[in-house]
Amino acid sequence: MTLDWIDAFLISGLFQVAMVIGLGLLLHLQLGLARIANFGVVGFWGLGMYVFGVLYTQVGLPFGEPWLFLACAAAATLVSGAAGLLVGWLISDLDTDGVLVVTLGFATAVQILATTQDDLTGGARGMGGLDFPFDIGKVKDNEFLWLVIMTAVVVAILLYVWRVHRSPYGRLLIAVGGNEPLARSLGKSTFRAKLWLFAVASAGMGLIGAMNGVMARYLDVGQVGVGVTLAAMVGLVLGGTARVWGAVVGVVLTVGLFDIVIQSYLPLPKEWYTQTIPVMREAAFGLTLMLVLLFRPLGILGDMQRDKLMGKIHGR
Amino acid sequence: MVADVVEAVAVTRPRIHVRGAVKSFSGRVVVNVDDLVLGEQPIQGLIGPNGAGKTTLMRMIMHSTPLDRGKVSLLPPGGGEVVLSSLPPHRMARHGVVKSNQVIMDFDKLTVWDSLLLAVAESRYEQPHRVFSEGTVFKRHEDEIRHHLDYFGFSDPTAFAMSAGEKKLLDIVRCLLIKPTFLLLDEPTAGLPEDLVEKVMTVVRDLAAAGTSVVVVEHDLNVIWSLCDEVLFMAEGSVVLRGDPQSIRANRTVVEKYLGEGHV
Repeated sequence: MTLDWIDAFLISGLFQVAMVIGLGLLLHLQLGLARIANFGVVGFWGLGMYVFGVLYTQVGLPFGEPWLFLACAAAATLVSGAAGLLVGWLISDLDTDGVLVVTLGFATAVQILATTQDDLTGGARGMGGLDFPFDIGKVKDNEFLWLVIMTAVVVAILLYVWRVHRSPYGRLLIAVGGNEPLARSLGKSTFRAKLWLFAVASAGMGLIGAMNGVMARYLDVGQVGVGVTLAAMVGLVLGGTARVWGAVVGVVLTVGLFDIVIQSYLPLPKEWYTQTIPVMREAAFGLTLMLVLLFRPLGILGDMQRDKLMGKIHGR
Repeated sequence: MVADVVEAVAVTRPRIHVRGAVKSFSGRVVVNVDDLVLGEQPIQGLIGPNGAGKTTLMRMIMHSTPLDRGKVSLLPPGGGEVVLSSLPPHRMARHGVVKSNQVIMDFDKLTVWDSLLLAVAESRYEQPHRVFSEGTVFKRHEDEIRHHLDYFGFSDPTAFAMSAGEKKLLDIVRCLLIKPTFLLLDEPTAGLPEDLVEKVMTVVRDLAAAGTSVVVVEHDLNVIWSLCDEVLFMAEGSVVLRGDPQSIRANRTVVEKYLGEGHV
């Protein structure tokens, strides 16, 4: 198969879009349904990425590909899920401000650990040695196949989120977000619901982080910055926090527009690419977030429509 | 023989025992109940002037307002004791102790059907991996939910509860669906039209006849006099009188402190 019709920049940009959509969908379960603003997305993502990287390059597991990738990715998913359990336990009784502090603190802790544990992570120097679990030819071919696999994972997450909206579990999450004391009075353990929510969403974020490690093939602490959380949050808020497709629409319009259209196709000066564009990107995302919250707080797709959904599922 | 059977039925009711329960707000004692057993009669009414501590006592029983000191226990009909005041709020419903809310409480994003399915859904179906269980939960509980929806005449159960009355009613139906063994109703008929008040009273009578203990706080005294088997009069944080509705209605203290001379 020839891939002349797609360039490496576009593959990289599309991978970013798919990855942030995946993170946005998982964040939607927390913020859109349970109304828990997780500002530590990059922490769970980065933890998964670094656990994968350390296991893959430092431990010397006795597996060949693709089993090495699968074992390391499974471990990264589990560790991020366990971290989610811990953070879920910490935030279970906190208000919005408390959740903000704990989740931001967790993300900061992950970044500091990645920097200071340089015998494992390479610290500021970074960590190389990561590779694809297959080799089908040129680097571009491998990257394209990895993009396809990441897209498949994100579609699976989208289907899961779609099913959650149509399940008793989704209803419980909406109840937790809407009126937690009332949910408790109906016999619902909101504590357990939050624990599971954080464990599952964080595990998913960790898996996406591990897959990003493969695509990047070189990890450095600069990747574990607030920009990842910001991209997922802005995309979700722009599209609509409460809607299944909110993250998809919002991320395509933000990350897609910026990382693909502006970065790849606008004739920007070459010297901007190292420092100016990343700063512009974060500034643009921050501005977008403010404008959306001011003028369309429910996002482009608006509020969830349970009345229509219930009518469709159970009939009028 | 009949009397023995009646007696046996009477002792199979769950009761709630409140001992040395005190609650203060900003140094002012709002509830101070030394020793009180609820549930000795099928339906008990709790009345008293505003600020007497009725709602606070109900909230203390449900552990949604923590006690300064004291103990609240559930005495199930089979014997034993469950200390409610040390249970997390969500465990109350699992022991059958359920309360409707004085102020309107609802889930803004959930429709009427949603809200009722939430109340009946077993926790095993509310797990992150059970995302295909909606059909099972719906099939298991559709009939009982439809029974309540038809009985109370919700206009469009797939839509959101819009009016205050509908939300109040929804709150009561949620409680009924949990199948309470001890039901606390805090002003259940406030804001409801006359025909729905009658329907609520009928449901409560049926529930009590089936063995559930019911305690009602209500300002509509016609509901209290016609519904309750026993009335407890609260003033200044304590239960100061209890008796059958006729005797409470005629009591001088109740008339002077609460009912007013024209009521009797």
